[in-house]
Amino acid sequence: MSADYHQPDSNMSLNGASLDAAQLAEARLTAYVLGELDADDRAAVEKALAESESARQQLGAIRRSVELVTGALASEPGVELPIGQRQRLIDRVVGEPREADIVPRFSKESRPARSVRRKFVGYALAASILLCVAAGLGRLLLSSMQTARNVELASLADRVRGTRAVDDANGYRDRYQSAHEEPLPESKDFFVAEGIPMATGMVAGQPEPTADAHSRGLFTVDIQDKESGVAKGMVSSSTSMAGGFVGRTKKGEALFDLSPAPSDRLAGLGFSEGQPNTESYARLDENSFLDVRRDPLSTFSIDVDTASYANVRRFLNGGSLPPRDAVRIEEMLNYFSYHYAPPADQTPFAVHAEVAGCPWEPKHRLLRIALKGREIDLANRPASNLVFLIDVSGSMDDPAKLPLLQSALRLLIDKLAENDRVAMVVYAGSSGLVLPSTSGLYKETILRALDQLHAGGSTNGGSGIQLAYQVAREKFIQGGTNRVLLCTDGDFNVGVTDQGSLTRLIEEEAKSGVFLSVLGFGTGNLKDSTMEQLADRGNGNYAYIDTHNEARKVLVEQLGGTLVTIAKDVKLQLEFNPRQVAGYRLIGYENRLLRAEDFNDDKKDAGEIGAGHTVTALYELVPAGGEAPAGNVDGLKYQRPLEPAGGFGDESLTLKLRYKEPEGASSKLIETVVKDAGSNYAQASEDFRFSAAVAGFGLLLRDSQYKGDLTFGAVLELAQASRGTDENGYRAELIELVKKAQALRP
Amino acid sequence: MKDPRVAGESEWLRSVVASYEGPLVRYAARITGDAERARDVVQDTFLRLCEQDRQQLDGRLAEWLYTVCRRRALDVQRKEHRMRATLPAELDRCPDQAPQADAVERGEMHAAVLAVIGGLPTNQQEVVRLKFQAGLSYREIAGVTGLSVSNVGYLLHVALKTVRANIKECEG
Repeated sequence: MSADYHQPDSNMSLNGASLDAAQLAEARLTAYVLGELDADDRAAVEKALAESESARQQLGAIRRSVELVTGALASEPGVELPIGQRQRLIDRVVGEPREADIVPRFSKESRPARSVRRKFVGYALAASILLCVAAGLGRLLLSSMQTARNVELASLADRVRGTRAVDDANGYRDRYQSAHEEPLPESKDFFVAEGIPMATGMVAGQPEPTADAHSRGLFTVDIQDKESGVAKGMVSSSTSMAGGFVGRTKKGEALFDLSPAPSDRLAGLGFSEGQPNTESYARLDENSFLDVRRDPLSTFSIDVDTASYANVRRFLNGGSLPPRDAVRIEEMLNYFSYHYAPPADQTPFAVHAEVAGCPWEPKHRLLRIALKGREIDLANRPASNLVFLIDVSGSMDDPAKLPLLQSALRLLIDKLAENDRVAMVVYAGSSGLVLPSTSGLYKETILRALDQLHAGGSTNGGSGIQLAYQVAREKFIQGGTNRVLLCTDGDFNVGVTDQGSLTRLIEEEAKSGVFLSVLGFGTGNLKDSTMEQLADRGNGNYAYIDTHNEARKVLVEQLGGTLVTIAKDVKLQLEFNPRQVAGYRLIGYENRLLRAEDFNDDKKDAGEIGAGHTVTALYELVPAGGEAPAGNVDGLKYQRPLEPAGGFGDESLTLKLRYKEPEGASSKLIETVVKDAGSNYAQASEDFRFSAAVAGFGLLLRDSQYKGDLTFGAVLELAQASRGTDENGYRAELIELVKKAQALRP
Repeated sequence: MKDPRVAGESEWLRSVVASYEGPLVRYAARITGDAERARDVVQDTFLRLCEQDRQQLDGRLAEWLYTVCRRRALDVQRKEHRMRATLPAELDRCPDQAPQADAVERGEMHAAVLAVIGGLPTNQQEVVRLKFQAGLSYREIAGVTGLSVSNVGYLLHVALKTVRANIKECEG
C-alpha cells in the first residue's frame, strides 16, 4: 500500500452535480471514519463533532455501517488458487521452476522473465542514496517527484519486455497521469523510492551475474534536495562483488559505506523467506563533545526501549552487521538488567551515579547515571485493561510473525488475573474487534480468540487504532493499567491519515490515560523509527520480539515494567562544574535530547519508567584542563565564556531529575550532587564495567568517530570480565554477538 | 547455484503473490463472472508484474496490481461476451431496494448486508469492494477506477448510506 499518502480533495464536490451541504458533511464524516482526511480537515470534523450531538450520532451510524459492510464482505467466500496451481504460478512468475512439469496453461507464450531483472540493480542502489537523504531528514518516506530532480542511469542494460506488457504499462501510465495530473516517472529519468529499501537489503536486488555481464559499469546519481543538500554517489556494480558504495553528504561525511563484501556474507542477511526488505531507519547523528563553559546544561528524556538491541542481534545472527542507524546505544544499554538498588522509600525510583576511567580513552572519565524503578509485587499489581491491536495483514503470514506473536501473547495472557481485562482488535484491509474486553478469568475464551487469528489482506492500521482506544476507554480501570499493545511487523500503514495525525491521536489518548506499547515482530519490513516514535508518543515502550525467549523476557520477566508505569515524563538535567569538567558527550539518547528550558516545562512529554525497570545513561567526560575533542567553535568575540562560581570545587556535576506520578500533572524534582572519587575503570562496579562494554560495542557497530582505538576484541575482553552472575544468560549472549561482529569485521 | 541476489527479488515476487493473489482473484471474479477466468487474469497480472520496475511500483504496488488486473479482466469479459458483469462505471443505475428482511430475522446480518451491496449500482459496488475488501485508500481507488478522489468519497458515502437505510428498515 502506498506509503506516500496523497490526501484526497478536502472539498468534496462532484463534477456536474451539486451536493447539498448535508450530503457534503456526511461524505466528509465518512472520509473521517475511513481515515481519509488530512490533519486540518480532521481537526475541523472533530470540532464539529464536539459541538453537535447529531453529528456524533451520524458518526456512530457511519461507523456501524462500515463495520457491517466490512464484516459482510469479509464473510464472502474466498476464491484462492488451489495450492498446486498457486505454487506453479509462483514458480512461473519467479522464473525458478521447482518441478519439470509446468502446466500447459502457462506455455501459451514464453516470457523472458529473468532477463528483466537486471534493471533492479541501478534502481536499488540509487534508491539507497535516496534512503540516506531521506534518513537525514528523519523521514520515513520520500517521494521522488519532489526529491529526485536528476538521476542519470547510464549504461543500464536495455530493458526487455514483451509488447503486451509495454501496452499495459503505457496504459497504466496514461491513466495515472490523467488521474493524478502528475507524470508517472519514466524509468530513464526518475525512479520512485517510496517505502525505501534499506542499504543492506539492496544487495538482494542485484542481478544474477549472467544477466549483468554486459551491463556492468558506473553510473552516477545526483540528487538535489533543497533541505538536505546534495548527495552524490558513485556506484560500480560488478559481477562477482556487490558494488562498493559510499554515499556522502556535501560536507563529505560518509552517510553509509557499503564496502565490497564477499557474496557469502551477503547471502545471510537474516531476512526471512518470502519477505521483501523495506526496513527503514531514521538517520541518527551522534552527540558530539560539548564545552562545559559554553553548554553547561545537558538535558534529555529517559528511554526504556530495548528494541534496537534485539534488532542488532537479529542482524548479527543472520550473518551481517546491522546498518549503523539501527544501532541505538541507549536501547542496547537498557536491554540488560543491572543490580541497581531500588528506592528505599516510596519514591518511584532511585538515582545512582558513578564515575570512573573511560576504557576507550584513558584521558577521559566515564559517568554512569543509573535509575532503578520501584519493584512491585506482581501479585498486587494494579488491574490491567489491555487491548491488543494486532496486525493480521498478509505480511504477518510468517513463522517469525503471527505464530510468534500468538505464542508471545499466550505467555502474557497466562499471567493475567481475574481483575485484568483483555480485548483484541485486528487490522488488515479492514479492522474489527475479534475479542470484546474479557476478564482474565476466562482464559479459554481469550486463548481461543488468539488461536483463531490468521493473516491475510493488506494493512490499514488507522481505524483499528481508533477502535482499540475506544475499547480501552470503555473499560477504563481507574488507578489501573490501561494500555493498547500494538503488535505488528511494522507495516503500520497509516490509513488513519498522515503520520502526524496518528501521533497526535496517540498523544491525546495517552493524556487521557490510555498508553500505547509497541511490540515489533519479524524482519524485512520493520519501520523501526515509526514504531519507536509511536510508542514514545503513547507513553509506552517499544520492544522488538524476534524469538520466543525475547517474548518471555518482555512479556513475562518484565511484565511489571511492560504493564505498570510507575512514573512518566522522566527528564534528566545535568549541570557540569567547569572546575572539574571541561567537556562532555552523552552516549546515545540522540533522539531523546531536550532543550534546557524543557526540563521545567511540565507540558513537555518525556519517557516513562515501568516497575522494576532500570535506565542507564553514560557520559564521556573530559576532565578540567583537558581539551574537548570536538570543540570546533570559534571563541566568542563579544563576551567571555561563563566564569566558574566560587566554591563547589570538588563537585563534578549536579544531577536533576523530574518526573510525574503516572496520573499526576505536575512534576517532582530530585537533585543529587556527583563527585568524582578518581577511581579507574578496573575499580568500578561490575555493572558499570559491563555497561561500558555494551556502549563500546555500540560505538563500534555504529563505527563511531568517538570509538577511539576500541576493537571488538577489546570489547570482548571488557564484557567477559564484567559478566557477573548473569542469571538470565543475556550477558553471555552479548559476548557471543561481539564474537560474531568480530568475525564479520576483524 | 542459487544466486542470493536473485533470490531477493524472487522472494519479493513470492510475497507479493502470497499477499495479493486471493484478493485479486476475488476482485477479478466480480468482473469476469467466474473464478476460472479470474485466475487466468490474475496469473497474467503477476506475469506482468515481474516485467515491471520494482522501484517504480514501490508504494503503488496495490494500485498497479488492481489497475492491471481490472483492465485485463474487462478485456477478458468483453472478449468472452460474458455480460454477467458488474462493471463498468457508466452503468450508474438506481439502487435496487433489496433489504432481505427475513435474512436479518434469521440473524444472518452478513447475508442481508451483502444483498444490499449486491443491489447497489455497479460503480458503487466496485468502490465498496476496493475499499472494504481490498483495503485500498481513496486515492488508490481513484487510480484503479479512473474516478476522481472526491468522486470515490462520494460513492462510498452514498453506498454506506444505502446500507444504513436498508438495514435500519430491517431492524425496525
